[in-house]
Order: sequence, then structure tokens, then C-alpha cells
Amino acid sequence: MRRLRLIHHGFQMAFAVAAVAAAVALPVVLLSVGGGVSQHELSVLQNQGFEVEVTAPGLHGVQGAHGLAGRIAALPEVGSASPVLSSAIDVFGPTGGAVPTLAEGVVPEAFSAALGPSERPLFPATLPIGDPSDSGHFDGGTYQGPAVDDVVVPSPFAQDLGVSRGSTIWLSPTAERSDAVAFQITAIAGAAAATLGPSATNALVLPLSDLQLLTGFARSNGTTGALLDSADTVEVVLTGAASTEPGAVARVASQVQALVPFYSVSTLADQVGQAHQATAVLSGFYIALSSVGLAVGLIFLALVLVRRVETERQSIGIERALGVPGRQIAAMMAGRGVVLGGAGTAAGLVTGWLVVELFGRFGSASVQLAVGYAVFDPVTLGALALAVLGLSVLASLGATRAALGLSIPEALR
Amino acid sequence: MSEHDVPTIECDGLSRVYGKDGSEGGVRALDRLDLTIRPGESLSVEGPSGCGKTTLLNLVGLIDTPTRGEVRWDGRAVGQRSERERARLRLTGVGFIFQRFYLLPTLTAQENVELPMRALGRPSTDRNARARGLLDEVGLAGRYGAFPHELSGGEEQRVAIARALANEPGLLLADEPTGELDSQNTLQVLDLLLAARARRGSSLVLVTHNPAVAQRAERHIVMADGRIVSDARGA
Repeated sequence: MRRLRLIHHGFQMAFAVAAVAAAVALPVVLLSVGGGVSQHELSVLQNQGFEVEVTAPGLHGVQGAHGLAGRIAALPEVGSASPVLSSAIDVFGPTGGAVPTLAEGVVPEAFSAALGPSERPLFPATLPIGDPSDSGHFDGGTYQGPAVDDVVVPSPFAQDLGVSRGSTIWLSPTAERSDAVAFQITAIAGAAAATLGPSATNALVLPLSDLQLLTGFARSNGTTGALLDSADTVEVVLTGAASTEPGAVARVASQVQALVPFYSVSTLADQVGQAHQATAVLSGFYIALSSVGLAVGLIFLALVLVRRVETERQSIGIERALGVPGRQIAAMMAGRGVVLGGAGTAAGLVTGWLVVELFGRFGSASVQLAVGYAVFDPVTLGALALAVLGLSVLASLGATRAALGLSIPEALR
Repeated sequence: MSEHDVPTIECDGLSRVYGKDGSEGGVRALDRLDLTIRPGESLSVEGPSGCGKTTLLNLVGLIDTPTRGEVRWDGRAVGQRSERERARLRLTGVGFIFQRFYLLPTLTAQENVELPMRALGRPSTDRNARARGLLDEVGLAGRYGAFPHELSGGEEQRVAIARALANEPGLLLADEPTGELDSQNTLQVLDLLLAARARRGSSLVLVTHNPAVAQRAERHIVMADGRIVSDARGA
């Protein structure tokens, strides 16, 4: 009977520890992976080579991109303006079917100027995709010049596709090979997922005018309607000293805004601030989500502690009959809460770490990539552990109340 | 009152009604009972089951509160004090010995004896030595590390006696201390208890069904229906 009671008691304790562990593991995973991804996005943003960005509502909303970039580049204190069009396309290699990927249409010299310090080494110093200003094919907006049809392919993609510099690949706006246009690979770019992020790692780089024409965000001569000359953004690089002077950045942003009153013009500082806000909101969401799990785990712990008082009512009655002060009994209950909560916290930290490791090994490619950014911040995890221990003491209050509320004569009966 | 004083205990019109919040509709365990226990006195309480013996012990020992009446220690009303104050008085002034020993099963004999001293905050070296001394005194030298389930009934009750004496209380309350022991152990435990009381000059209230045990006390009370029906001195 005594043995059965001990086994039962052991199960209760094990369940309490498991409940707290599960409750702790969730925020460990969310905060480490989510926080890591946010930190990465922030560092990517802070690592940009441009200071001001023009965007417009809607898909590829910046129109007249070549002309706009030229007008912005002519502003004082502006070094260059790089229009970028990002579009999903399908790629056909020498063998095999369509491979969906992202293509980035750029003006080569402006694109190179807008690369950040850690991006720059990944690309050739001069991007070998036709004329540096993309003006030949664009031909003043007629697209009647000779198409370049050159493309830079990132190394993992080239490896997957089995192609190298000099190979021909076919790019298509649809999954149909009949819609594809042949492009020659003129360079293989280095790729570092940690620097470029998951989507940019596999992005092809080709002349803006080529991509516009391929994807229909430009119309060749002879078709009706306005020439779109679309892009997603225009990245503005300031000259030397102006790039690090907040006043100059704000001045240029204001001048750009005057050129395009209906577009959004943001500075990198704005974007970093927004990213910080987004990170804070996400962290709040993670904590809110985790607190639900923690509440459930700690309620379970509280119930187990109260249940233990019930099973030990005679022992507690004896101690109280002998005159053991209430504060010592409260300390004993709090100690139990801390021991169980501490064991659960330790188990939860290990479990969370294990889950992240398992995701890193066996998750899908995107999960693995996200998990690769995970940061186990000792301050965050320490604060989490302290919070759980504090809450474990709170969880013991019910047990303390039950222990001190016992009628001694009844407990001894 | 200092920790080792032996108080005069007075029960004045003590009533205890169980159930229905102590109202008149409940079970009346004690009924306007008056009793004075003088310092150093040994007192046996006899009577049929349910006559209120244990209730009287609980009220005198401050582990229960009277529905009516008052318990006084050296003239100071203590029966209705806060649980915190009563716990302090129990710790320093009362030694309990129960019929079923009530040792804590997870503690060794020595740790059980140390429990009241630890609760009082005595230093560990001091309580360690005293616990061993008390266990020696009750004939359990060398059994310091034994757990309750490793002890016989007689040995468990000896540990309980040692625990009751730990803080040198002025009042020993024994509720059927030999009720679960054979005749040989009954005599040994009783001798130990009376000798320990005599050495310290404590008062002793001994609740028992056993007339032979009761006869060992100086004063004999017989209870029925929550009242004292006989109060006599001597054998």
C-alpha cells in the first residue's frame, strides 16, 4: 500500500514537472527561433547599402522606374538610384521541368552601388549582364534595343540545376516551356543564406528591362496602352559623407517624396524602427502565447501541490500540532513549488533546445533555414526561468492555504 | 511565561460542540467543564469512548479552540488566541504523545526528535546532540538513523516521547500512549514517561482506558458525556 502510494505520488510529481517543462519548452522555441529570425531580418536591414527606399502600393507599383531612377540620381547628395523588380518565374535547365524561383530585375551599375557591405563580396564587382545602365534594350522606353538575355545565377541554384557559367537556361513567366526565353549564365554569384535571407539566396539577377519584358511589366512597341516600366522599389544611395548624416538622409527623402508624392518614401532608420516595433509586437505575441501554456502548466503544478497536501494531511497535522510555525510550512510548500518548477524549467529548457535541434535536422528546408537563425539568449532564457520559478512560488500559495487551513484534530483523526 | 515554566492550567466552563459551526445543534463533546492542573501534577483522565477525553486534551494543548469557555495558562487566557500565538505556545510549552505515535514517516528517529527544535530555530549542532541524548535516555542509543517503519511499536513510542521532551515543555499531554502496545512495552513506556516527567517537573495529563496505567498518576479524573464525574487523588 505504502509502495503504491509512493508510485502514485511519483507519477504526480513527474506529471507536474512534465507540465511545467512543456510550458517552458514552447517559449524557448518561440523566443529563440522567432527572436533569431527577427534579429536576422534586422541585421539584414541594417546591412543594406542604401539609405532611402521608394515603394508604391500594389504589385510592382513603381512605374516609369528607369526614368524615376534617373531623376532621383540627379538630385544633390544622391550617389545612385537602383530600381529593382522582383518577380516569381519558372526556370528550365538543360534537363528536367520547370523550377519556380525568384528573379530580380536590376540596373547593373546602380544595383552594385546599392549592395550592402556583406552582400558586395557575393557578386562580381561589375555585374556582367549587358550594359551597366540597362539603357540599350530599354531604348528610352521603347524596348526596341537589343535584348541582353544574360543572367547571374546563385551557386546553390546552379548546383541544383546542374549548370555553370556559359550554360543556357530558359526563363518563363509561366510553367510552360513554350513561353520561355533563353538566357546565358554570365556569372555564378556566391550565396550566403545568413546574409541574403531564404528567398534571395536562390534569386536570379538579370537586367531590369529583360525581366520587365519577360513578365509583362513592360510592353514592347506595337502593343497598346502605356508603357509600364514597373519595379517594386527604387533604392537610393547617398554620396559618401551624406549617407551617414541623418539630416542629409532626411533631406534627400524629402526631395524624393516631392518627386513622387503618391509613393511611399522611407529611410533606413524608419525601416529599422518599424522592424524593431514588429519584433516587439512579435515578442509580445510569443510571450502571450507562451503565457497560456505557462498558466496551464502552473495550474497543474498548483493542483498537484494541493493534492499532495491532501495526501499528507496527517503529517502536516502532526507538524502543526507540534507547533511548527505557519511560515515554515509556507516555506516548505514554496520550496516544493520551486523544486518542481525548477525541475520543469530545466527540463523545458533542454526540451526546447532539443526541439530546435530536431527541427534543424529533420524540418522542411524553410524550417531548417529559420531554425538556423535561432538564438539562445542567456538573458532571455534566464529571465524566463526566473519568471517560472517566481510563478511556481505563487502556484504553491494554494497548497500553503490548504495546509494552514487544515483542522489539526481532523488531520490527526 | 518563559519557555521552561510549568504553568498552572485552568479550564473554565469549557464547551466544545462539533458540527453546525459549533452551534447548539451539533455534537457536544465537552460540556461546561472546569478543571485546574497545578504545576508538576500528573493527572490521568479515564472514561468511555466519546466522553470527551481527547477533546479536553486538544483544548488544553491548544490544537483546538473551545466553543465556549476559556483555557488559561498562569491566568492568561490562551484558548482563543490566534493560531500563530497558539502554535508558539505549543512549540515551547507542550509536548504531545499520541496513541498512534505520529512520527513523520520520511524522517529518521533523530530527525523526528529534532523537528520541534528545528521549528524553534535551535542551531543544528545543539539539536543534534540533544536529540541523540534524548534518544539515549529513552533507550534508543544507536537507533538514531532508523526510519519509523524500521522500528517496533514500543520503539516508535519512545521516539515520540523523546520528541515530546525536545523543547523541555512544562506540560506533557499523552493520549492513550500505551494503547497500541503490549503489556511489557506498556510498562516500559509508562516508566519512561513518568521518569522523564519527574526529572523535569513537568505536568502530565494522561488519557487512558487502562486503569493500571491511570493508577500511576497522582490524580485521577473520570469523565462521562463531556463532564468530569470523578476527581480523586492517590492510588
